[in-house]
Amino acid sequence: MASALEQFVNTVRTLSSQGNYRELCDYLCKASEILIKNNPHLDNVLETLDIQQHSLGVLAILCAKYNIPNATNIQEARFNQTKDFINNCNGEQIRLAPDTFAELCHLVTSNLVEQKQPMKGILLLRKAISKLQLFDSQLTSIHADLCQLCLLAKCLKPALELLDIDIIGICQEINTQIQGGAQFDAKYFLLYYHYGGMIYLAVRNLERALYFFEVAITTPARAVSHIMLESYKKYILVSLLLHGKIQTIPKYASQVVCRFIKPLSQPYHELANAFASNSTSELNSVVNKHSEIFTRDHNMGLVKQISSVLYKKNIQRLTKTFLTLSLSDVASRVGLPGPADAEKYILHMIEDEQIYATINQKDGMVIFRDEPEKYSGPEVLQSLETQLQACMELDKQILQMDEEIQVNPQYVKKAAGLQEDEQPTKSTYVM
Amino acid sequence: MPLQLQDPLFQNAIEPMQVDAPPEDNENNEEENYVVENPTLDLEAYANSYTGLAKLYRLMYIVDHCPSLRLEALKMAISYVMTTYNVGLYQVLHQKLAELTSCSGLPDVASQSTSQDIPTIDQSWMETMSKKAAHKLEKLDNDLKNYKSNSIKESIRRGHDDLGDHYLDCGDLSSALKCYSRARDYCTSGKHVINMCLNVIKVSVYLQNWSHVLSYVSKAESTPDFTESTAKDSNQVILTKLKCAAGLAELATRQYKSAAKHFLLANLDHCDFPELLSPNNVAMYGGLCALATFDRHELQKKVIFSSSFKLFLELEPQLRDIIFKFYESKYASCLKLLDEIKDNLLLDMYIAPHINTLYTQIRNRALIQYFSPYLSADMHKMASAFNRTVTALEDELMQLILDGQIQARIDSHNKILFAKDVDQRSTTFEKSLQMGKEYQRRTRMLILRAAVLKSKIQVRSPRRGEAAGQTEEITIAPGTSSSLPVF
Amino acid sequence: MVININLDKAAGELEVQELEAPNGVASPHVYERLLAIYLCQNDLCNAKFLWKRIPASVKTAAPELASIWAVGQQMWKRDFPAIYNALNSVTWSENVADIMREVQEITRLRAVDLITRAYSSISLDAVAHMTGLTSDVANKACSEKGWQIEADTNIVHPVRSSTVIIGQNSSEDQLYRLTDFVSFLEN
Repeated sequence: MASALEQFVNTVRTLSSQGNYRELCDYLCKASEILIKNNPHLDNVLETLDIQQHSLGVLAILCAKYNIPNATNIQEARFNQTKDFINNCNGEQIRLAPDTFAELCHLVTSNLVEQKQPMKGILLLRKAISKLQLFDSQLTSIHADLCQLCLLAKCLKPALELLDIDIIGICQEINTQIQGGAQFDAKYFLLYYHYGGMIYLAVRNLERALYFFEVAITTPARAVSHIMLESYKKYILVSLLLHGKIQTIPKYASQVVCRFIKPLSQPYHELANAFASNSTSELNSVVNKHSEIFTRDHNMGLVKQISSVLYKKNIQRLTKTFLTLSLSDVASRVGLPGPADAEKYILHMIEDEQIYATINQKDGMVIFRDEPEKYSGPEVLQSLETQLQACMELDKQILQMDEEIQVNPQYVKKAAGLQEDEQPTKSTYVM
Repeated sequence: MPLQLQDPLFQNAIEPMQVDAPPEDNENNEEENYVVENPTLDLEAYANSYTGLAKLYRLMYIVDHCPSLRLEALKMAISYVMTTYNVGLYQVLHQKLAELTSCSGLPDVASQSTSQDIPTIDQSWMETMSKKAAHKLEKLDNDLKNYKSNSIKESIRRGHDDLGDHYLDCGDLSSALKCYSRARDYCTSGKHVINMCLNVIKVSVYLQNWSHVLSYVSKAESTPDFTESTAKDSNQVILTKLKCAAGLAELATRQYKSAAKHFLLANLDHCDFPELLSPNNVAMYGGLCALATFDRHELQKKVIFSSSFKLFLELEPQLRDIIFKFYESKYASCLKLLDEIKDNLLLDMYIAPHINTLYTQIRNRALIQYFSPYLSADMHKMASAFNRTVTALEDELMQLILDGQIQARIDSHNKILFAKDVDQRSTTFEKSLQMGKEYQRRTRMLILRAAVLKSKIQVRSPRRGEAAGQTEEITIAPGTSSSLPVF
Repeated sequence: MVININLDKAAGELEVQELEAPNGVASPHVYERLLAIYLCQNDLCNAKFLWKRIPASVKTAAPELASIWAVGQQMWKRDFPAIYNALNSVTWSENVADIMREVQEITRLRAVDLITRAYSSISLDAVAHMTGLTSDVANKACSEKGWQIEADTNIVHPVRSSTVIIGQNSSEDQLYRLTDFVSFLEN
């Protein structure tokens, strides 16, 4: 028994010192069983290895430790070891085994979720992500874990810092459990965008939330994923909140969405239709009819928001048609109980700059005005500048991607040889 | 026994070739529950402008919607149906008659005028007719077989046509349609093709299969012979028939503008299509659709100054007055006249389902035209010009503004309608900022998507690697959602 | 402005303290200050999540937290009188007193701003309610602002103040960026 571990230590040491990490990775893949079998001695082995120099070896051992069943008594120590490792490991080495490293993080996450201590892992995972990333805008599967922890801990700011960075690359995590080589598990991708959408929803950044849900539902798919289904439901609701109707789903979304997911979300479509009718009573009847489903899907909160948004939408419609209107008329046209409620809604909307109006309490009238923004003044210029800059930045990225494709040998070969295969290049694919 | 003793109307519902009809039927049903109390219709003259099934269907429509004309219409229908082989319809009509006479709600009508001249169901007529029909069918069938064995194309075509005519006479529409369509393979000249098209169109109209009607109209119109010699008189007749049928189909599918255009191309001198429409119908359908959808300029050019349609309008002086009043901006009297003819229109099976829509559109058009020259308008004056209360007018205007048909806003305090001034500069700014935002969003999505495709991310079915499967996802879902904030 | 920057910085520090706390539970002082600062920034979403994630044990140990959140709840409902009520019903401990004073001040400013934006005429009572002042004080404050008060009906006519925009960056910088744009657009 002990000899097997001794051999393990020796191999790790020699291969590490030779810098022969690839071979080491292969070896470690096969070694995991031995490690799990010898679990009582793993702590001793851990002591013989140096976190910086033998990062890969330590990683394998920690992974093995998390795979031991019934390990309640070593929770604390194990977590601290992992923390130490993630904070001090050698980034270059672990990037050679990204799947194992990510796996470790997933294990830590699910462990913390079980223990109901999500708060503890937030900083740790952030560190882990930065170790694994080559650049800031690269997505790793740990992103999803971090979002999950942040949601559970109800501590959203750390996740937002990550979410605000637009992803332009995806970390190649070789998942050994799925055949076919380099694969980033779609599950973590979907989870990241679903959780991300929920986080943005929680901090009322609806536009971003919609974007995230849209990413989730346009992920290539050949089967129905439950995450995608949930995202789709939320996509409908957020779309209603933000635009008052269901945004059209991009054409490149997988057929699965139309064929299976839409019929599965029937109540939500009914809700959208009721919303489009602008009738409060119709909306309420749909809400009541499906309240059980909405509650089960944990979307009741959003649905309730939609009901109140309908009042606001109707008031906004009034601003488009009227110059002046009495408060009681507003109430009766929108379906609110009385002028006082109408005043409250209008006041809130004025504060949020959703409408431009002045209330005349003396006569009980509202005067609707046009948007006072005249697009003059330095701040407009400034915002234009920032927008332009963002566009330029994006354009640059696209050009860069285009160049990459231009010099891609496969592409050159195809483009130079007869265009027998009319496979679209990536640059034209979505445009 | 090939003769079907079913009501052809019910049969329609299961006709396999019908693509559009069922939803239309439903819509009609919703509106069919109205009752017209005081029509000024001259039933006799009305019925005389149609022949064949058109007459029967139209009479039945009146039976269903107008209690005061019900009995008379039924009697007319029954006496007419006895000139055909349509035993099925005969039975249905008698059934209706039985319901009517047994119904105690109408004792006055039943007692005073009729108990003696109510036709009773004639069993022997039914039997002889069924027999005759079967006999004729057999003969025609045999003829056709003979023609086929001799393979003379022209005879076969005629055989099919005759058989179709017979089926139509018996009220078996789907078989008639089949026979007429079969004749298609034996057409040797453009004229035959057109003839076949007209037959199919006729049956399709009875079946209310409008898409079928339209496709055969265009088929007929693109037949070489037809396009070459449109000048000839006989062709004018056909052209008018086709235009009428197309207009009817467009009307039924709510394409009012193109319906108007079709009807306007009809020619009164050659308008002879009693199996479907009377010239009065053409005037009414075309005039109303044009009023509802044409702008002032089109109305002037295509309706008022149209030499051919003018003749149609002479047939319906009321309608002519309406159109002229509308054009002269005398909206109050125009709308009043429209209301006067509404009852009669509601008894017309083809336009009745669309009356409300058309009327609203005409009203809206009038409102828009009324306001178009003004910067501000007093709503009190406007309301009196339209026979409306100010509040009702306010609602109507609100809807129009929301639809973007009137660029204006209402000062509800002083009841004045103000034209909206649009600040070009601000809207341009607004639009360009919006575009920029949209561009950024889409480009981000594009870059991300490129990355996704590059790393071949794809949701797979669970059988490939249970680890990545969905069981786990489900278990995760509750945990995540529980943290969804409830506001 | 200065206060805002300080608050942002303080909030950032406190957030880190909370994250680094052993077992994820920070001291009540940290929570109290952070919650108060969120209110001050009118960042109600984060305030709400902070309140939700504070462990129950801490909440019972530090009852002041609940009082702070009571203010937050009223802010969420945008019920101005209730906000002042919640603010003034408690004597705040030294830890948060200065921030809570700031909250009150900011709320009042918000209310005044809203009144000028949303009303062309409003009763004096409503002004007093929204600003949390007594009628007399409100009356005086209104006249100071140059708002007309109809003596007989006690209706106030707020005057819209023109907003002053500050923050102009240097022209050289602007010029540089402009050249950038032009060169981008021309390519």
